[in-house]
Amino acid sequence: MDNNNKITTQVIETEVPMGTVHSAALEPYRLRLFVEDEIVRDAELTIGVNHRGIERIMEGLPVEKANSLTEKVCGICSNSHIWNSCLVAEKGLEIDVPPRAEYIRIIMEELERLHSHLLYLAHGSEVLGHETFSMRLFYIRETVMELLRMIGGNRVQYGASIIGGVRPRCELNEMRIQKIKEGMDYIEEKVLEFADRFIRDPMVMSRISGIGAITKADARRLATTGPTLRATGIEVDLRRDMEQYEPFEFDVITQDTGDVKANLLMRVLEIPESIKIIRQAIKDLPEGKITNRSWEMQDTDIIRSYIEVPRGKLYHSYKIEDGRLRNSIIRTPSITNINTMEFACIGTHITDAQLAVVQCDPCFTCTDRAIQIVDHPFRKNRII
Amino acid sequence: MQIVDTDISMILISLVAVIGTLIVAFAVSVWLPGIERKFVQARIQQRVGPPISSPGFMAPIKFFFKQAMTPNSPMPQLYNALPLISLIIVVFILLFLMPQMYFLGALASIIAVVGLLKVEEIMYMFMGSLSKSVLSVNMPFPDLVKGAKYVDATRSFIEEISTLRAFRLIAFGSFPLYIALFVPVAMARSIYLKDIIAFQQLNGPVLFTVAGAIGAIVYFIGFMILMNEYPFAIMKTKADVMEGPYLEYMSKYRAYTYITRGFLIFVLASLFATMFLGIPPNIFNPGILVTIAVAILFPIFMAVMSAFSPIFTFRQFYPVVAATSILGVLAIVAAFL
Repeated sequence: MDNNNKITTQVIETEVPMGTVHSAALEPYRLRLFVEDEIVRDAELTIGVNHRGIERIMEGLPVEKANSLTEKVCGICSNSHIWNSCLVAEKGLEIDVPPRAEYIRIIMEELERLHSHLLYLAHGSEVLGHETFSMRLFYIRETVMELLRMIGGNRVQYGASIIGGVRPRCELNEMRIQKIKEGMDYIEEKVLEFADRFIRDPMVMSRISGIGAITKADARRLATTGPTLRATGIEVDLRRDMEQYEPFEFDVITQDTGDVKANLLMRVLEIPESIKIIRQAIKDLPEGKITNRSWEMQDTDIIRSYIEVPRGKLYHSYKIEDGRLRNSIIRTPSITNINTMEFACIGTHITDAQLAVVQCDPCFTCTDRAIQIVDHPFRKNRII
Repeated sequence: MQIVDTDISMILISLVAVIGTLIVAFAVSVWLPGIERKFVQARIQQRVGPPISSPGFMAPIKFFFKQAMTPNSPMPQLYNALPLISLIIVVFILLFLMPQMYFLGALASIIAVVGLLKVEEIMYMFMGSLSKSVLSVNMPFPDLVKGAKYVDATRSFIEEISTLRAFRLIAFGSFPLYIALFVPVAMARSIYLKDIIAFQQLNGPVLFTVAGAIGAIVYFIGFMILMNEYPFAIMKTKADVMEGPYLEYMSKYRAYTYITRGFLIFVLASLFATMFLGIPPNIFNPGILVTIAVAILFPIFMAVMSAFSPIFTFRQFYPVVAATSILGVLAIVAAFL
């Protein structure tokens, strides 16, 4: 599908800047829309107001402490960060993780995917102006949040993964397993009901069909990642290559059109796949310990790890010196999707521009870690 | 002497009727936003919702006691005065609907009502033009130096976009409401409210005719467009222009906007009761209960429609307005026949 999103070379007459505070944005970002008669001809999306310097704080910390700090990178996919950070250490220190711990990690990750996707759908509905859909999705999401709280003791930062396994707090007993089973049944039923209602709503379909469309070629050129990439029809899911996911059967969902509709449906259809993985993990949950504590600290070179998180490919790397962490780099999926967000805006109406950004599932608060110093006192308009 | 006394007592009774009707209108209108949000939207969305008195009654009171800051406007005093002017215009519309004011001739006609509604709509253009909030161009964000692609582009405030949309609403967006108003005019063959009411007293309400029923549907859609409610809220879309013209109203000025909105719901319901049911707003007429019932039903229906629809962009807005307007024209043709 072509969204007529061709960048024009002529001088644009009007610019409409939005943000960094805006009602359609969950996070602070600046969106500059270059418009002609309310149709976006070009867009510029800038982040950089939410610097927290997490990688800098991590430098020199003991690895265990630094790992737990990675959870603070993101409030939505906190488990993904701490899991990947632990994977880096485990890879470098050659630690075997007990199978039961691997399964619990997978359950946590898929629960997080459920809550991230449901949040995406609810936020998308809100930007669409459909508050009723948004509210109902948030209610469905509550079940996932309660399950995460039950396992990790917290609704946002569960801290499940530690080096060598998972925290004892996250052990799954019969009662917890039963509650997860019931939760999955409820979510599956409600999400499918929602999907049925959603796709049969002509007004909603009219708003989302063909909006912010990205072709396969554009997605490759713009280095799109995650469900946004799969919504264009490209079947890429890192979970297929991750050894942790080898025991599980699931389908990689794709859509064809790459527009808002395809992106929303992508998340809806990925939810049953995550539920399928969770059910398999519960059914085949191995017996045994959940933490391997028999490992020794040693110096390592830079170790890299990629995993598939709800928004796409997440990268963590660092090296260990004297048990302390050095050269930490984190790259979240949203940083690679920014170009796609800008591109998706082009050709849309202003009202749809924020929707085109939201369709790529931005998480700028976790992406925004670059420091920027502007030389204001001398009014040189220069970025150092 | 007795004739003079009778005249004075008639004037006094009329005065009491007018003031009484205004008080009833105000008393009812402050509850309407609460009914809309508490009993309909919140119930549909399965949440508790605000207290019923909060949106229309307690919130304006609260805002009256808030500290006001100077808005980022080139003419802040005029900007702040506009909600009050809007309120006065809406009050005048209600005044001209009352039977006691029919002696004013042309002012108590549909042309005057339409004219005043247009003036009320124009207020949004002034509000949008005079607002320069910090949420767009004025945001202290150094984006001009960040490799800007079009440095020579005119930089527009988001309120300016809502001003352009307000203009579009004036130009054609509110067509359905105005076309629907001319269905009773076509049936009564008169633009004067007293003639339209007299026609309905003789022949029954316009609503219960085919043309009137179609006109009522068109009127209701026009009502939603004029109220700027979802899905027609293009002037204050959260996804881009946010609150639009109202963005910088605070303290008592925001209270006026709340009161005006509630009052406008009541006035448009009264207009419907007058034009389609033949019942003008008058405290001494039991028919005022019908007006109040219409005033309660309108926001309820509006809230149901709003709760189940996304915001429209022009791609949906234009066809809906065009189709509704055509339906309205058909209703007028049917009314003439």
